[in-house]
Amino acid sequence: MKAASISRGLLRNPPLITLALVALVWIVAGLSLRGFAAVGHLRYILELSAIIGIVAAGQTLVILVGGIDLSVGAVITVTAILLPLISPDWDPTGLLGVVLTLAIAAVIGLANAMGQVFLKVPAIIMTLAMATFLQGLLVLIAGGSAVSVTNEAVIWLGSARPFGVPAGIIVWIAVAAAVLTAIHRRPFGARLLALGANPLAARLSGVDVSRTTFAVYALAGLFSGLAGLLVLGMNRQGYVGIGDPYLMTSIAAVVLGGTSILGGRGSYAGTIPGAILLVTTTALITVVNASPGWRSIMFGSLILALLLISGREAQR
Amino acid sequence: MDGTTPLVEARGISKGFFGNPVLKAVDIALHPGRIHALLGENGAGKSTLINLLSGALQPDGGDIRVDGKPVTRLTPQGARAAGVAVVQQELSLAAELSIAENIGLGAAPRRFGLLDYRALRDRAAAASALVGLTEPLEMPVGDLPLGRRQMVEIAKALFREPRVLILDEPTSSLSAHEAGVLSGLVRTLAARGVAVLYISHRLNEVQALCDYVTVLKDGVVTADRSLADVSAEGLVRLMVGRDPGDMFPAFKPAAAGEHLIRVDGFSAGAVYDVAFSARAGEIVGIGGLIGQGQEDFLLGLYGAIPAVASSAAICGVGHLLAGVGAATAAGLAYVPADRKKEGLVLPHTIAANLMLPSLGRLMRHGLRDRRGEAALVADLARQLAIRGDTGRPVQALSGGNQQKVALAKWLPLGPRVLLLNDPTRGVDVGTKREIYLMLRAFADAGKLILLLSSDTPELVHLCDRVAVFREGRVVATLAHGNASEEAIVGAAMGLATKELAA
Repeated sequence: MKAASISRGLLRNPPLITLALVALVWIVAGLSLRGFAAVGHLRYILELSAIIGIVAAGQTLVILVGGIDLSVGAVITVTAILLPLISPDWDPTGLLGVVLTLAIAAVIGLANAMGQVFLKVPAIIMTLAMATFLQGLLVLIAGGSAVSVTNEAVIWLGSARPFGVPAGIIVWIAVAAAVLTAIHRRPFGARLLALGANPLAARLSGVDVSRTTFAVYALAGLFSGLAGLLVLGMNRQGYVGIGDPYLMTSIAAVVLGGTSILGGRGSYAGTIPGAILLVTTTALITVVNASPGWRSIMFGSLILALLLISGREAQR
Repeated sequence: MDGTTPLVEARGISKGFFGNPVLKAVDIALHPGRIHALLGENGAGKSTLINLLSGALQPDGGDIRVDGKPVTRLTPQGARAAGVAVVQQELSLAAELSIAENIGLGAAPRRFGLLDYRALRDRAAAASALVGLTEPLEMPVGDLPLGRRQMVEIAKALFREPRVLILDEPTSSLSAHEAGVLSGLVRTLAARGVAVLYISHRLNEVQALCDYVTVLKDGVVTADRSLADVSAEGLVRLMVGRDPGDMFPAFKPAAAGEHLIRVDGFSAGAVYDVAFSARAGEIVGIGGLIGQGQEDFLLGLYGAIPAVASSAAICGVGHLLAGVGAATAAGLAYVPADRKKEGLVLPHTIAANLMLPSLGRLMRHGLRDRRGEAALVADLARQLAIRGDTGRPVQALSGGNQQKVALAKWLPLGPRVLLLNDPTRGVDVGTKREIYLMLRAFADAGKLILLLSSDTPELVHLCDRVAVFREGRVVATLAHGNASEEAIVGAAMGLATKELAA
């Protein structure tokens, strides 16, 4: 009876399902695969998860409000290529370049929102057009060549390990704390969810639709930019296409975490284990030396399976 | 009984939603060749009964018989096979498809597995001729006015050659001529042996056309009899079940408060050049036929749709309010008619819905004050007698309680003007009365209430005066006492345009 009610409570809590699944995979893989449970390996998994997790923070907000951001990959590429080009040489810390680049990323997000608010273009079209536009622009600016980074701040982000914890993970923890607070403890989050579930009722209840849309897409741009800096710091090189893998993984992490793709229900609390689960799966495939094709097949199956277990979309 | 076996019959059927019984042990029998009226107030259970008879819903108890034989589980397919066709109140046509395609939708003749357009045309033309549709059959339904679409809907039902035809308020969007054609058609069908179930709020129409009546009140059959010797008053009494006087709190004339709304040359949406003013403590009714600009009037005042005025003063603001945010800040609150689509965030909890307009008002150290919010929600729930756990999704509540949530969520803001758009539509009688008492109390507390209502008795009994809209203008302002049902309906129909300003 009690066990049944606990398991039912678990099924009603998608973030917990995803977290339990991560724990299960880690335990089974740790016991059966050599090297998987090594501290260095797990830390590396988390470091890679941080990038997806930060991109997916913006994506979570966007999806909660009932939209989608298909430009996150392009924004990552933009920041990774633009930062080396616009960081001024006279700033030894590199912070100015970081700030400028993040501002540009946020402005791209604002442009996404403007298209929706003023031109009434649906999110999926607006952000797809933005992504295509940016990719074209980058080919013109950077050509086909890679740019190397010399910015100290970004190199630190990609390689420093204060107290043995990679800087990327620390940034992720900060982002997660901020986003979770915004969703659950600030009026912003409640407005977001109301808007995602019923835009008309939310508007008539006094929710400022344009302002919320601007905030959400600017944050999505900002977080993508931040992730772009991390990618650049770890890679030491930016090139056209470097952000592409993060578009679908960011959406997958959100959905794996139990957030409704239709908006209005979910939390970043699910996206966090969702991101870790995605990276863990990739790592498993690498450790057992299977074809990367299996990775995609597993992602697809996982998304559907978790969806069916909790019946989350069906409840609507 | 007249000896024939009913084509479709329900015996003792019951149905509830989310634990609220909507139908309780209802009997109804549809006999061939009989035009059977189904009467009842909004929320009496008429739609649910139709859905049960057409297989769209399954009863919780009782059984449905087709040709005298019990059917264990009537599906929409089963009902269609039994010859039951329903003309719904909400039009279920595909706007992009042609008239012919809509008429044949789902039952179109086939040849070699493909649609047989020639046969479809011929049969659709026959069905159209019956209802007097003269438009070319290739025309997309979206290009037709509402009344013509209703005729397409009826032709669609006839296309299936029904033995039982259920008409749910078929004349509400029809012109007098179209309604006449329909009456003739219904008589012809009945003469051919079709059983007709006719739902309408127009009592004279029912009396002229129907042979037999079943009256539903709060989910119970209060009359099941021949219409031969029943008066219109008698029908109303059966539907309402009490004197309308008992429903409403005692009328109290408003003390002359300050002007909270004063607009001149006000235009918004379908509203054109309206002059209007109202004072604190008043209940001002907004009446008229459906869709004459009443809703746009409220939305324009609320800043939810663009509006212009030659001069305006609203709650001390010297111009029109630019948006919903400005309106709520000035002290306006709007309760929409369609609470499911516009008033509430249905999948979210009662508490979340109650908090939505007040978000950001209860904060501690920059974060939402959970305890303060919980106390506020509990207080609102108690004030409005919303029973049970406020952590439930609001869609689990009955229509009446949902409406109370849609109203209650504004109270923490202390609004001075309440713009209410048909607040008692689809609300049960008990909750209606609660809402009336609430409105009276709000007005006594010095709030201004603009009450848009499709329920004329509300306008008569609650309001200090009634502004009647017709084609986007106020054609009459009737003071309490002069605002009888006849006067309101007469003004709404454009019979007299007398100005009886209060």
